[in-house]
Amino acid sequence: MQLLFKLFVSFALIGLIAYGGGLVAIPLIQHEIVGNRQWLNINEMTEIVAIAQMTPGPIAINAATLTGFHVAGVAGSVVATLAVLLPSILILVMITPFIERAGENKLILKLRQGTQLGVLSLIFFAVWSYGLAVVTDWRDLAIVVVSFLFLVAFEGKLHPVIVVLACGAAGLIIF
Amino acid sequence: MISIEQQYSDLNQEKKAFSLISIFWTFFRIGLFTLGGGLAMATVLRHELVLKRRWIEDDEFLERMAMATVVPGVIAVNVAYLQGRRLRGKAGATVAILGTVLPSFFVILFIAWVGLPYFSRPKVAAFFKGCAIAVAGQLAFAGLTFGKKLLRNWRNLIVCAVSVVPVIVFNVHPVWTIIIAVGLGYFICRTDEPPGRLNDRY
Repeated sequence: MQLLFKLFVSFALIGLIAYGGGLVAIPLIQHEIVGNRQWLNINEMTEIVAIAQMTPGPIAINAATLTGFHVAGVAGSVVATLAVLLPSILILVMITPFIERAGENKLILKLRQGTQLGVLSLIFFAVWSYGLAVVTDWRDLAIVVVSFLFLVAFEGKLHPVIVVLACGAAGLIIF
Repeated sequence: MISIEQQYSDLNQEKKAFSLISIFWTFFRIGLFTLGGGLAMATVLRHELVLKRRWIEDDEFLERMAMATVVPGVIAVNVAYLQGRRLRGKAGATVAILGTVLPSFFVILFIAWVGLPYFSRPKVAAFFKGCAIAVAGQLAFAGLTFGKKLLRNWRNLIVCAVSVVPVIVFNVHPVWTIIIAVGLGYFICRTDEPPGRLNDRY
């Protein structure tokens, strides 16, 4: 029971701090799970992170489910997953009424624009960091370019997941 | 001039489109078909919500993605909450979050139970490497989509360029990108043409 509580606390913390996308969250997760709680060693953590990236869904949530399962079975996976969701939900529940009331004054408009630009920057940063991590040679780059072109060409007609699966199949052949 | 019958039919259509089941199912698909999470899911989200279901338009989508990214917490959950709430209030939010989270939860439990040894097989790794590369392409596509909408004048370009530099060059935490973009944008950007449109309900 105490273990479940600790799981909850750890992953609530992770859910809160995992800011800027899953990739950024990984070192934080490692620090908490391997360094602080010592529930996993670094090899197990690395494997979990790899699986968390390969499976559908956000990395933080997948890591929570996996780690929770490893530490305390199905109960652990449920607790950890709920814990990692909670900060998002609580914060949003609290601030949504304020946003709705904020309306359309000039300050808000300016802030919104900056926020959107910031998010665009984050996307560019993600392309950069993700690309660096994943693209190792010209074949990888070629796949990126081709998948990008397919997405552009068939925007709205082809579900992006099909492009991803096709690239996976290409990976089977090429690698 | 739309006839009364047509208006009622449209209203009913709208109610049907925002049914809890359809919200759940749409987010279930999103949760199932998104690899890479967070910002990478922007492309899939847009495809489902804007292009396929036509529940919202690009302006609103951009707005929602920005808010979901800026608020602390898992981006996917934030989007689900905000979008679900927009469509069907708190029930919609709940159902959207469930839809987003359940697929990966069950897939992972299944894998943890049964399939862990399979993951080290070289062919499996090759497949997922291909998928990971495709995600990079998706991210680039999301950048293109939003870039087209936002980078319409040199002010926006500057804000964007300046805010991304610290993270890439100095390796600071991404939150600084937002801080710089908002701060710089406040002074530089003009709001006569706001890129994201506001809506009555979040």
